[in-house]
Amino acid sequence: MKIFTPLLIAIPLLSFSLFSSAEIAVVVHPSSGVASLTEDDIARIFLGKSKSFPSGSAAVPVNQDEGAPARDKFNEAVCKKNSSQYKAYWSQLVFTGKGTAPKDGGNDAAVKALVAANPTMVGYVDSSVVDSSVKVVYKIP
Amino acid sequence: MKKLKFPRKLSCVTLASFLLGSTSLVQAADIKFSGFLSIGGGFVDDEKGLPYGGYSEEDLTFDSNLLGLQVTGNISDKLSATAQIIARSSDDYSLNSEWAYLTWQVSDNTKIRAGRLRTPFYMFSDSLDVGYSYAWITPPREVYSLPFNNVDGLDVYSTGTLGSFDTSIQAYFGGFSDEVDFNGTLAPTKTRNQMGVAATLGKDWWTLRAAYHTADLWVDVTQAPLSSTATIGSFAQTLGVFGFAKNGDKLLLEDDKTTFSEIGLNIDTGRFVAALEHTELEAKDSLLAKRIREYVMGGVRFGDWLVHLTYSRSKDDTAHPEEGIPAGVALPVVGSTNFLIGTLQAVAATQVETRDVKTIGLRWDVTSGTALKFQIDDVDDEVDGDQKLFSVAVQTVF
Repeated sequence: MKIFTPLLIAIPLLSFSLFSSAEIAVVVHPSSGVASLTEDDIARIFLGKSKSFPSGSAAVPVNQDEGAPARDKFNEAVCKKNSSQYKAYWSQLVFTGKGTAPKDGGNDAAVKALVAANPTMVGYVDSSVVDSSVKVVYKIP
Repeated sequence: MKKLKFPRKLSCVTLASFLLGSTSLVQAADIKFSGFLSIGGGFVDDEKGLPYGGYSEEDLTFDSNLLGLQVTGNISDKLSATAQIIARSSDDYSLNSEWAYLTWQVSDNTKIRAGRLRTPFYMFSDSLDVGYSYAWITPPREVYSLPFNNVDGLDVYSTGTLGSFDTSIQAYFGGFSDEVDFNGTLAPTKTRNQMGVAATLGKDWWTLRAAYHTADLWVDVTQAPLSSTATIGSFAQTLGVFGFAKNGDKLLLEDDKTTFSEIGLNIDTGRFVAALEHTELEAKDSLLAKRIREYVMGGVRFGDWLVHLTYSRSKDDTAHPEEGIPAGVALPVVGSTNFLIGTLQAVAATQVETRDVKTIGLRWDVTSGTALKFQIDDVDDEVDGDQKLFSVAVQTVF
């Protein structure tokens, strides 16, 4: 048990994570009938538990790339998982054919462009890049 | 889980749309590769004692390594093909196609699969080989003890909601043929009319699971040695000669109705994790003990670290292949029926496991996709005595 002692001391020091302060907007296509979503709706879509918006129309989630600041903040705030937990969650589903993780769509600008071009897509971007090409349905402060 | 995309047809249109940032991201016919790797080593406290978890030496050995690669190709919107190939050090790294199946996405919530599938025996059956997906290096061995985990057949998997709860149900039918280790002998094994159903009910941080399976089971134990001159097969014949053919049948595993049931609970609040499972395996009229196995695990996360404790145990019920043989009746050659009864009881006793295991483990998520794990298992077996296993593993997904 001796080996665990230094680890137990080190643990609290490692458990702080740095959050970026920027606001994140969850966005859909401007023509989408979806006016707003709850955090729970969004989590269900991004965790593969639901493949449609509450209205019933198809929803295709798109992630930002791994390492993007918005991705980590989104996953912690909405999916309640840090990047490792998020990966472990999907590794339980992907290798069984029971689910497919959302595609990685790039950075803020790339995800905005994808959502602007696809009426079924839902993505998240830093609020500062939002313009009329997408519609905001939820905000993470 | 990085995905390499290979457009099936590199037409100018698909190429152009890829270059343009791609409206075809979702629709593109693509092949996805995902993989997982586990490098594990360990040593036991007492090499004269019980081998545990594949380890029997006091020196550190690295022989529980595996590399898996999964390929999924979309044939059409609704149809995809998946194969999973695994190389294990325990199998001399020979390539095994553990799964190969076609998936037909009937609707958003329902899929039908046909081919070689993972049997949904346990809560972590699906990702059994993907160590990265759970806290331990391997799930508790007492519970996760079935020697075969795949089935050739078809299944239906459906997800849904029940009020504010998430539900899933998986039902399958099939069979399986392989060789499994039986008291040190490789015994040809098969199941027929194997079917089962596994259902989950969950919400946010908890999932409840129950499963029930049934099959006709054959394990050819006839070649397993009983003594220097006799095998289980020859002893079953001897029983027949003395007029106890029924007990001879009970000794063998031929077309025996076998059931397996499981209940489990999985909790992950982010800070706290917990899991428990209880399983029972019963092969009616056979020499197999009723295997009653369970574990309970709890753990706490501190950032990228997870400390967990597990208590697991085997509490099997002995089979009674001697039932019906009157005691103390004189017999030629063997002396008395007591010899037959004693032998049958001794064989049945080899199938019983009574064991407690306490486990402490540490998982460190080094980076997203890679975990380093340490584990100490303290084993207390009623027959084989005490043992401790110290193990370490690096497990990744990519």
